[in-house]
Amino acid sequence: MISREMAMCRAVLENNRLLPLFARFNIRLGFGEKSVEEVCWINEVDPDFFMEIANAYLEEDDIPREDLAHFPLKSMVKYLRATHTYYLEVALPRVELLITQLLNQPELSQKEVNLLSGFFDDYKKEFMQHIFQEENEVLPYILELEKQSLPDQPDPEFISSLKVYSISKFEQEHDRLEYSLENLSRLIIKYLPPLENQELCLKVLAELSDLVKDLVDHANMEDRVLIPRVSELEQQVLSEKKGP
Amino acid sequence: MNRTGIIVAAESYLLRKGVVSILNRMPGVSVVREFEALPALEKFIQTRKRDLLVITYTLFDQSFKQLFNEGDLQDRTIILTHKREWQGGSGIPTIDSDDGKGLIINKMQALLDAQVPGPDEDPLLTLSPREKTIVRLVSLGYTNKQIAGELFLSAHTVITHRKNIGHKLGIKSVSGLTVYAIVNNIITLEELSSNPV
Repeated sequence: MISREMAMCRAVLENNRLLPLFARFNIRLGFGEKSVEEVCWINEVDPDFFMEIANAYLEEDDIPREDLAHFPLKSMVKYLRATHTYYLEVALPRVELLITQLLNQPELSQKEVNLLSGFFDDYKKEFMQHIFQEENEVLPYILELEKQSLPDQPDPEFISSLKVYSISKFEQEHDRLEYSLENLSRLIIKYLPPLENQELCLKVLAELSDLVKDLVDHANMEDRVLIPRVSELEQQVLSEKKGP
Repeated sequence: MNRTGIIVAAESYLLRKGVVSILNRMPGVSVVREFEALPALEKFIQTRKRDLLVITYTLFDQSFKQLFNEGDLQDRTIILTHKREWQGGSGIPTIDSDDGKGLIINKMQALLDAQVPGPDEDPLLTLSPREKTIVRLVSLGYTNKQIAGELFLSAHTVITHRKNIGHKLGIKSVSGLTVYAIVNNIITLEELSSNPV
C-alpha cells in the first residue's frame, strides 16, 4: 500500500512493480525527499488517480476498487493512451529484439524459424490494430460521451448515434492480446529443441510473462473500471434526454 | 497445466481473499478471477469456460436460474456456506466457513481433478471437434475454400467457424492458429510444411 504522504522514493524502492507506471504517467525520477502527492502535482498528475492505479497494481489479481469510478474519464483516457504508447514503443520492441535473437540460434530448423517469425509478425500486426482501433474509435467516443454528459443538453445527434454504437459493442469485440503470447511461451518451453543459449530462452520467457501480466492488468482495468463507468455515463446521457 | 478458469465469487472482501489465497497454493492454479457481485460474474461466465467456481450461497441463491445450465452445474461449482446455515442442496458440493484446512483443500482439489483436460489443453478456450478440424486444416495451409471442399461445408459456414474460433481464442491470424494448434496437440511441428506460414 502506498499513501499520499509517503516519500515517493520509498514507495518505489519498496514496490518495484510500480516502475512501469512512471513512464505511463510521464513522471520523471529524481524524487529527492518529495512525497507521492508532491511528485504528482509537479508532474500534473491527479494524486488520487495515481494512487488508485498504483495500489491496484500492487494488490495482485485484485479488482481495482469502485472509487476509481469518480475520476474524470479524461484522466483515465490519458492513462490508457500512455499505456498504449508504452506497449508499442517499449514492451513490444523489447520482446521483438529477443525473438530476433532467438531466430538466429543454430539449433532451430528453417521450419521453426518460419513459424516463429511469421507468428510474431502477425501478432505485432494484430496488436497494433487492436491499439489503433482503441485510439481512433473507442477513446474519442469516450471523451465525447463525457463532454455530452456535462450540464447542457446533450447533442441530439450524439444521442441517436448512441443507438448504433455503445461501449458494449467494444466490449464484445474486445480481444484478449495475451492468449497468443502464452501460446508462444508454451511453444518455446515444450516444442522447440533445447538450445545451447539457455540464458536467451529464459530471458524471452521472462519478458513474455511480464508482458502477459501487464496485458492482463490492463485488460482488467478496461473491463472492470472503464467499461462499467462508460455504460453508466451512457445511461445518464440517455436519461437526460428524456427529461423535460 | 495452468488452470485459468478459476473464479471466486463472494461479497465479502475477507472471504474472497481467503479463498483466493488457498487456491493460489494449489498446484496448477494460476489466475483466479474474483467477483463481488452478480452482474459482472454473469457476464464473465457466459463468455468463458470455467474450471471451478467457488460461490457463496447468497450469490448462488440469487443467481441460480440465470447462471447455471444443468450440464455444467454439478461438476464445476462449490458453494461456500457459513456456519452450515444453508441447505439448498441440489447435489452441489459445499464447503463451509467452519471446515478445516484439509477438508477445504481436498474438496476443491477433487473437483479440479475430476475434469482433467487433455495435456496442455486450455480449458478456458475449448474448441468443438469441428472447430479443431478447421484449425488443423488452416495450420496445414488450406484456404477457406479448400476447407469447405474437404469438409463438405459451404464457404460461408467455414467463415462463420473461423470467426467463432477467432472469438474464442482471441487469435485470428494463420500463424497464430498454427502455434495454437501445435501447443494444443492438434498438429505436430513435423506435419507443418517448410514454407513460411
